[in-house]
Amino acid sequence: MHRAATEVGRAARLALARTLESLAVVGALASVVFFALRLLPGDPARLVLGDEASEGDLARVRRALHLDEPILVQYARFLRGIASADLGDSFRRPGTPAMARVGEALLPTAQLAGVAVAMGAVAGLAAAVAASGPWLAPRTRVWIERALMAVAAAPLVAVAPVLTWALAARARIVPLPGDPDAGPAGLLFAGALLAFPLGAHVGRIARQALVEVSEAPFLRVATAKGAGPARVWLLHALPVVAGPVVTIVATQLGALLGGAVVIERMFERRGLGTLILEAYASRDLPVLEGAVVAAGLLFVVAQTLGAAIEATLDPRTRAGPS
Amino acid sequence: MTARRRALELVPLGLVVALSLLGASMASEPAGRLAPARAWCAPSAERLLGCGEAGVDLTSLVCTAELRAVVLAVIVALVGFLVGTPLGAAAALARGRVEQAVARACDLVQAFPTFILALAVLSAVRAPSRVHIGAVFALTAWAPFARLALAQTRVLRSAAFVEAAVALGRGRSGILAHHILPNLLGVVAVQLGSTAAAVVVSEAALGFVGFGPRDGVSLGGVLDQGVVAMLRAPHVLIVGAAAVFAASAALLAAGRAVR
Repeated sequence: MHRAATEVGRAARLALARTLESLAVVGALASVVFFALRLLPGDPARLVLGDEASEGDLARVRRALHLDEPILVQYARFLRGIASADLGDSFRRPGTPAMARVGEALLPTAQLAGVAVAMGAVAGLAAAVAASGPWLAPRTRVWIERALMAVAAAPLVAVAPVLTWALAARARIVPLPGDPDAGPAGLLFAGALLAFPLGAHVGRIARQALVEVSEAPFLRVATAKGAGPARVWLLHALPVVAGPVVTIVATQLGALLGGAVVIERMFERRGLGTLILEAYASRDLPVLEGAVVAAGLLFVVAQTLGAAIEATLDPRTRAGPS
Repeated sequence: MTARRRALELVPLGLVVALSLLGASMASEPAGRLAPARAWCAPSAERLLGCGEAGVDLTSLVCTAELRAVVLAVIVALVGFLVGTPLGAAAALARGRVEQAVARACDLVQAFPTFILALAVLSAVRAPSRVHIGAVFALTAWAPFARLALAQTRVLRSAAFVEAAVALGRGRSGILAHHILPNLLGVVAVQLGSTAAAVVVSEAALGFVGFGPRDGVSLGGVLDQGVVAMLRAPHVLIVGAAAVFAASAALLAAGRAVR
């Protein structure tokens, strides 16, 4: 009874710490974008209207964006706006709430990132099993490992355009960037490009973990009981590496979001990345702030999800008496 | 690794810098000059890498951008090294809460959507300059160095010579400066190459999405032009991608030489 109570308390404390940390990440991103826009030299109203604007217009914009209030009052208003998901209207499209535009953009980016994570995990695990299992010749396995290292180090911003050129412009097997009728094929190809570095990282970590576990007694027991190599590797060994794989995916999430901006821009796909770029180009401050905060939220939610998945997969990481 | 092999790892970076210097100095006009008459012209004997949008000579543009990217990357990596190493070492010496907080901060910053952070900060300036871009990268560049220094100091702090220094009454800062840091540098310097390579790639990515320096001299800008003209003038894209690739691979190799 007493032990169960402390266990619950521990889990609650851990959950509380995680939540606070997530809030801190989102809050930090939100504060950076807020203060950067207001405290760095340069008048935001002038950023919005350009150098030619008249004093009257500038005053009107300052009032509309509440830039004439003391900075702490603005900050409080901003935080309240984020908490209630209402940052006011988009400055460039009056009548459309900024958060509505952000919400529209959130789904395509989440889709893209989801496809990339799924593809990267599957491809990486397949490569890891191929590189450490007994099926291939040792030399081939070494080459797979080298290929994984090379791909992990390859810069997405250089590789993605070249692959797109080769596959879309030359071989014509995938839709060209900017093709409005790209549909699911476009999503899959864009996701595959984004999955490239992620898959290589997953492959490297999973291979390492598989090599470590390959000598474990429970695998020898399984073999001794008559299980074939496929059963031993896929059913017994693979679940053990799930923990490290989830961890590496979680650490790559930030890079994945950055990559999503590049990919969205290249394929002219709608999403958070293109929204941030568009809001920057048109100086739509409420939308810009909302989009950056939403990107932070997406990151935090995905990370928390990763931690939860890891906890269910690996009993050792579960909060409990230790 | 022998000293000779180590020296060999520096060759790619030397080649990249030398070729870029050569290409930039051979140019008969300033990088980025427009000449619409020769827009998107293919590589020829006169213009070795061809021309890009509005007829910019890619040879001088790419070589200048490559040099600037490498210089920026090296500076940012050194700043991260100089800030992160003492921070991580001091945290590990302090132990307890400070150590935990710094370790957790490193984890967070390393997994952070750095690129989004860079976009958020750079959106406050009208036209980002290279100084702005470098400052934004330096905001997060210290974390991997701090984490390495922290892990290594955890091992060192219980070493006999450190305990001897404590027993002799040496203060914490003295131990840090005279016993810990000299033993850390070699291990932590390994990170220099990968941080520098990451900066080159991020700078190119920023330029690619339109957050590059205003003069347009950036590898990302070249890649952007290349994607636009993918069907008409594929050489632009190939040249830009090769330049990013060469810079990041050369910096990675040079990082292995520092070890």
